[in-house]
Amino acid sequence: MLRPREHGKRPGNDVTVMMETLQKIQVKIYLDEGSSVSTDDAFRIFNKWITDTTDEVLIDVADYSHLPAGPQTLLVGHESNYCLDNTDHRFGLLYARKQPLSGDPTACLKQAVGTALAACKRLEEAPELEGKVKFRGEEILFVVNDRLQTPNSDESAKALQPHLDALLGDLYQGAPVTAERDPDPKQRFNLRIHAQGAFDVTALLGHL
Amino acid sequence: MVRIKIPFGGLNTEQMDLLADLGEEYSDEIIHVTTRQDVQLHYLHIDDAVDLMRRLAAVGITTREACGNSVRNVTACPLSGVCHTESFDVTPYANAFAQFFLGHPDVQDFGRKFKSAFSGCKQEACGLTNMHDLGAIAVTRTIDGVEQRGFELYVGGGLGAVPHEAKLFDEFVTQEELLPVSQAIARVFARLGEKANRARARIKFLVAKLGIEEFKRLVAEERQTMPFDPRWTSYLDDLHGFDEEALKPGQALNGSDVAEGFAAWRETNVYPQRQPGYAVAAITLPLGDITSSQLRALSDVCGRYVKDTVRTTVEQNLVLRWVSESDLPALYSELDDLGLALPGASTIFDVTACPGTDTCKLGIASSRGLAGELRTRLAESAHTLDEGVKGLRIKISGCFNSCGQHHAADIGFYGVSRKINGITVPHFQVVIGGKWKENAGSFGLAVGAVPSKNIPLVVTRLTEAFVTQRQGDESFHAFIDRTGKRAIKEMLDDLTAVPTYEEDSSYYHDWGDTREFTIGDMGKGECAGEVVPLAQFELTACEREAFEAQILLDESEFEEAYSSAYWAMLHAAKALVKMQWLDVPEDEGVIVKEFTERFVETELFFDPFAKDKFARYLLRMHQTGTNGHSHDAAHRAVEETQLFIEAAYRCYDRVSTESAQATT
Repeated sequence: MLRPREHGKRPGNDVTVMMETLQKIQVKIYLDEGSSVSTDDAFRIFNKWITDTTDEVLIDVADYSHLPAGPQTLLVGHESNYCLDNTDHRFGLLYARKQPLSGDPTACLKQAVGTALAACKRLEEAPELEGKVKFRGEEILFVVNDRLQTPNSDESAKALQPHLDALLGDLYQGAPVTAERDPDPKQRFNLRIHAQGAFDVTALLGHL
Repeated sequence: MVRIKIPFGGLNTEQMDLLADLGEEYSDEIIHVTTRQDVQLHYLHIDDAVDLMRRLAAVGITTREACGNSVRNVTACPLSGVCHTESFDVTPYANAFAQFFLGHPDVQDFGRKFKSAFSGCKQEACGLTNMHDLGAIAVTRTIDGVEQRGFELYVGGGLGAVPHEAKLFDEFVTQEELLPVSQAIARVFARLGEKANRARARIKFLVAKLGIEEFKRLVAEERQTMPFDPRWTSYLDDLHGFDEEALKPGQALNGSDVAEGFAAWRETNVYPQRQPGYAVAAITLPLGDITSSQLRALSDVCGRYVKDTVRTTVEQNLVLRWVSESDLPALYSELDDLGLALPGASTIFDVTACPGTDTCKLGIASSRGLAGELRTRLAESAHTLDEGVKGLRIKISGCFNSCGQHHAADIGFYGVSRKINGITVPHFQVVIGGKWKENAGSFGLAVGAVPSKNIPLVVTRLTEAFVTQRQGDESFHAFIDRTGKRAIKEMLDDLTAVPTYEEDSSYYHDWGDTREFTIGDMGKGECAGEVVPLAQFELTACEREAFEAQILLDESEFEEAYSSAYWAMLHAAKALVKMQWLDVPEDEGVIVKEFTERFVETELFFDPFAKDKFARYLLRMHQTGTNGHSHDAAHRAVEETQLFIEAAYRCYDRVSTESAQATT
């Protein structure tokens, strides 16, 4: 075996720095029970988005349907990726921001959630799906896809809390919310939000 | 895409964890194992490259020279050290070779890449030395009662458009001479190998041009001039530094309860080690892919059963070595929970494919799409498949460059396209007669192009013919040999027909892609690592056609050989015309006329000495037609075609260079 060298010191423990650079936000919004999108449909729709989208650069669609518990159909863009995702054995739309967003962390979170919800709405309204697909807005998974800047720690959670509270207050109009985090240090920083009540994506977009 | 070198495929759990992290943070959450034991991540941003490389370096991994014209990843049998048939463990030698040549000044001036492989024995497939630029097979000899270790060394093998079987360089290179002799080979290649024409720049062309005896003489001469380097032998003091340890004592299976599916998995995915009580467990990766989540979880599983003894394989799988046999049922259950307990490793179900049109712009047809379809269909019929069929290998490349190693498969395919009524239809050439065993002991040949849609039927028809017509214990390779390629071709003839778009539009779509097929996005090759212009790409295709003409000649099909040679030449002329007129039609009269006006009359296609000699080959054949030719005429046509293509390459180089100079 190759003998690994020791890990270099990683940045990421300074929560102030982290909150100034909160980027690479991922947002997953799950399909409603009874809704489903086939990988063939997703492939067709995402390819159409490449030509129909004017406000960002979308590049390619990758099919990973041979790996059942993973990204199924991936729309790769320069600024962001959009994915029909089943990584946690539950289908949903995963929005993954890659390029920096502008504004303070609250504004960045708001932009990421807004874009994810808009993508869900676009899927719900896709003619190929004949209006049969709905997303459930009351559950959102947040992931910060940057272990170097935002480790999966209590400190990160504490630093993120006020920004998330501000966002969720607007989004769910004061409805009670709970947040769970998988604390496994090997995982990226993550928070699963559950809001009390039922929220569709159109209503949530109106709240932002 | 970033290609990450994994010398001899060796991975530890810390490296697996990091690869999983990088897949998530910079790529698309997919880690892809390649046919040369590398790892590839796709869809990366160049901005992330620095962080990615720094993090790889922190766990002892480099991407340096994973691409480019240098010594690529050094591959080795994944069973090295635990195999029943090996002479000795090649792991420390493969590692020493990789470390010695990494960044070495003598390997920085190659005209093309240099692939090397190590195998512990001659009879199995694991090292695939026959298709490498340099292949080393472990051998021993006894002199004065003392056993010596050494290597049977091969050079000049390679797949690509026109495959070359490696030539025996030396029956026994001592372990002390392995690195210096290899270095001398590298120096001769760097000095005399082609540089300008990258399609002729692999060492196989140099060996073919010089002849193996002259090449050996030059290497021996070079060896005498080289200054001593202590690294040639210093690693020999630490050969046991690579000895692996087991996490648990080796114990046989104790008859405890096993999960459903365990028996089928064990039959194909477990290899009993030479060391009693231990086994190698293979993880079948569909299309070589594993998700970040799976890889991280697998790393945890490894920590419970083995000690950092994981390797990637050239069949795009992973193997866990030193598993106590008594742990196999528990390991199976844990793998099953992760979706990693697929049976069928190294069988017909385990279809190998290059990235193809998914991410490589040289790809013509969807190799991964076809592989996925074949896997699904074969899995559905798994319980009824004949045992002889289960052991076959299917390998698929998206183009003729053979990154999917289609030449070495029992049944191989490579992507091509055909224009049907003005619409491009995805096809695959069917390649048969290859031999995976004996380190890729022989290479198959194309028997004809079949629409992608019909390829699953090709597999069904070939395997059914094998089952019903084989004689005794005849192997598939022997069956193909006895039946003959012509009969095989006839067997598939009806599958070559393409219905009109109106009759069945599905023929005009590639597997795994709901869009209408196009080759309009071809251009830069993923594996080539640099721009391959369209004209050069098409000239390489012409070489393939010329090669097929040679085969027809060997089969005494003189008219067909003559005709194939003529069309290869015509397509080479067309490739040149396309530099000026992209939409030149597939009409021989138009091609000849345009070629004459644009390249002959302008003297662009003139050789400094032979003048228009090569152009006249084409003009004469166009005038005489392709019917009624004897062996001599066909033979001459094949020879002339090769010369014409060479001249076309030179013309292309000259014109493109002058064009580049004019714009600077």
